[in-house]
Amino acid sequence: MRKTVAIATLLVAAGCSGTSRSGSAASSALTVFAASSLTAAFERIGSDFAAANPGITVTFNFGSSTDLASQIQSEGTADVFASASGTAMDAVASDPGVADRTDFATNRLVIVTPPDDPAGISSIADLAKPGVQLVLAAKGVPVGDYARQALTSAGLLSAAMQNVVSNEDDDASVVAKITSGEADAGIVYASDVATAGNTVRSVTIPTAVNVVASYPIAVVAGSPQTEAAMSFLNEVIGVTGQATLKDSGFGPAA
Amino acid sequence: MRARLPLVIVTLASLGAAFVLLPVVALFVRAPWSRLAGALSGVGASTALRLSIEVSLAATAISVAVGVPLAWVLARGEFPGRSLLRAAVVLPIVLPPVVGGVGLLVALGRSGVVGRWLHDALGIQLTFTTAGAVVATTFVSMPLVVLATEAGLRGLDLRYERAAAAMGGSPWYVFRRVTLPMVAPQLAAGAVLTWARALGEFGATITFAGNLAGRTQTMPLAVFEARQIDPGGAIVLSLILVVVSVSVLVALGGRLTGLR
Repeated sequence: MRKTVAIATLLVAAGCSGTSRSGSAASSALTVFAASSLTAAFERIGSDFAAANPGITVTFNFGSSTDLASQIQSEGTADVFASASGTAMDAVASDPGVADRTDFATNRLVIVTPPDDPAGISSIADLAKPGVQLVLAAKGVPVGDYARQALTSAGLLSAAMQNVVSNEDDDASVVAKITSGEADAGIVYASDVATAGNTVRSVTIPTAVNVVASYPIAVVAGSPQTEAAMSFLNEVIGVTGQATLKDSGFGPAA
Repeated sequence: MRARLPLVIVTLASLGAAFVLLPVVALFVRAPWSRLAGALSGVGASTALRLSIEVSLAATAISVAVGVPLAWVLARGEFPGRSLLRAAVVLPIVLPPVVGGVGLLVALGRSGVVGRWLHDALGIQLTFTTAGAVVATTFVSMPLVVLATEAGLRGLDLRYERAAAAMGGSPWYVFRRVTLPMVAPQLAAGAVLTWARALGEFGATITFAGNLAGRTQTMPLAVFEARQIDPGGAIVLSLILVVVSVSVLVALGGRLTGLR
């Protein structure tokens, strides 16, 4: 009984320290909220950053940019926000506010299919062929909105929407439906293809109809450790950070 | 006069009740009452609600049809590996539903172990279909009716069944006319719990069947998608789900859980 209470106390204490914002001067814990498409790149940037700044520990919270923005607004636990869309960043900029906002990367859309390409997809027009099982991210999710924009520019929206079999929560879920071989095609970011490697086959979307997503990053207002937050931001826009982003399929800021 | 309950128990019980009720109360507080109608039509509530009811009822029917015989085998059968089988049957309760969804995907997906054959030989694809949503929901919710029915079967006085058999009743006759009626209260309680779990199913469904309005988008999935576009709409959808679940559980619960 006593033991159980002790364990419970420990758990509560651990839970508290995990969310505490009052980092001591010697070591600060930085919380970075980042779009899920940045997962692979930011984890590498994070370990480079930790190696260069032993006093600072970085914790990432990856998710859909829209979700992250509303979490920042209701919980306010982020020091840095890296968004896959300007809209989500605009929301945070108006409440609670941001500082040092800058675009740090771009991402283009690509079509992904299973490696054996069951539906014979060789261009964006093929997404409108009858019977193709197409998976997109849902409306309101940046990559889902961008995909609909690209299909609209290509004049394929209504035909392609007939083929949509699932609206996923984020790009990673779209990729999962493709790697499992359940769907014939999906539209995701070029960075997703870099992560997925040879478990998917990719088809380029022509520049004329492609959507280039700009990724903004900023220090969230109210962060108790603006200095550490700024140095992480600088790491992202610096030479090493940019090289890592390039490796992960991102383009340079426009 | 009733005995007074110890203060400690009452305090802890109040905490427990408050913990469960708080999120529900908060949904009512934050609901966009002024634009309820708009929020309702904007997020396709009626389509999702109809699909939710269809999928949860179908899952409950299948769960009872195969779950009750399964409970009987677990309670009465004597064979090696019975406790292993029971553990496997209960597994979906413990597993994160998304793990169940992944399992279903590699088993019954278009390129899954069995699904490949279904797809190539019979032209059947479960993923991205309403049938797929029913499969995912059944997987997650069936254990509840199995467990409740098995507990009921174990508590039965076997003399009635023996007497019926001694008077010449076939095993099937005894099962239908003696065993089933006696275990009916537990079976019904289990079926209600199964249905309630089915109504709330999310993880396995979105993983295995995907998310498409009118086909696989049940209420929980609609709530999940509405959060992206219309947080107020998500609250309205959540409230509908709360009201429907609570009404049915209150209407049936007292009578069917045997705790009247």
